[in-house]
Amino acid sequence: MTVTTQPSGPELADVHAIVEQVWSSFLGDEEPLLPRYADAAEEGTPAFPAEHVWSAAVSVHGGWTGTVTVELSSSVAQSLTRLMLAMEDEPLDDAEVADAVGELVNMIGGNIKSLMPGPSALTLPVVAAGRAAHSSELAEVARFDAMWNGEPVRISVHAPQS
Amino acid sequence: MTESPMTQRAMIIDDSKAMRSILRRIVSGLSFETAEAAHGQEALDQMEAGFMPDLCLIDWNMPVMDGYTFITEVRKRPEWRNITLMMVTTESEQGQIVKALAAGAHEYVIKPFTPDAIVEKLELLGLVSKGVLA
Repeated sequence: MTVTTQPSGPELADVHAIVEQVWSSFLGDEEPLLPRYADAAEEGTPAFPAEHVWSAAVSVHGGWTGTVTVELSSSVAQSLTRLMLAMEDEPLDDAEVADAVGELVNMIGGNIKSLMPGPSALTLPVVAAGRAAHSSELAEVARFDAMWNGEPVRISVHAPQS
Repeated sequence: MTESPMTQRAMIIDDSKAMRSILRRIVSGLSFETAEAAHGQEALDQMEAGFMPDLCLIDWNMPVMDGYTFITEVRKRPEWRNITLMMVTTESEQGQIVKALAAGAHEYVIKPFTPDAIVEKLELLGLVSKGVLA
């Protein structure tokens, strides 16, 4: 009998590198994405310091199974939407923000998928106004917290609990 | 009188409006006339209706009709054989890249990309002159 176990998730350094590459390719280097590490006083988990949040997720199924989630403050979501759409002062609607946040998680998730065993398939993004919810069958296996323009950005990877 | 060069046309096929906007700015800067579609079937419909592109930039994962199916549909039509097909996608598995190229894609760009990466591919394909952005 052969027993195979899936790798739990990507290395945090790889997630960091992918996020930075996606960010700089589409949002430029003028305002860098600054990693935000857990403060020892916070005992591990930094809070997500934003009241109004957008989140988006894609799932990978196949050689590796997991979910990649992006959470952004509303301010970051609106800024990245304006940059991607090359809009300045025109009003944005929620559909435009959802589209841009969805494309962001699609690029990050697609590149994380490429690090993991395949073949596998990527779902279309699911986007919501609010924090992300995860199935209780999934455990967080990697998380990258950062700040951009003084606002929080979180990328997390969840995989089935072994 | 000098005859002006014929404008080339690009069809941008991606379900993300933001990504279509980014690609449109790149190819418009290269003097392409552009049209956009949110999935493969919408692109086919526009082509049937008369927008005949020289270049299609094609995402893989889209609702209704994905990029791979779009390529196979285009390659069934001999009258569309001169259209250059370039995948622009997060799909980066070697098997998928080979599958798209075998189906008739000419080039493959993995997201994220820089504008220069798109221009370089178009130069290689002979659709823009070398150093056009220099």
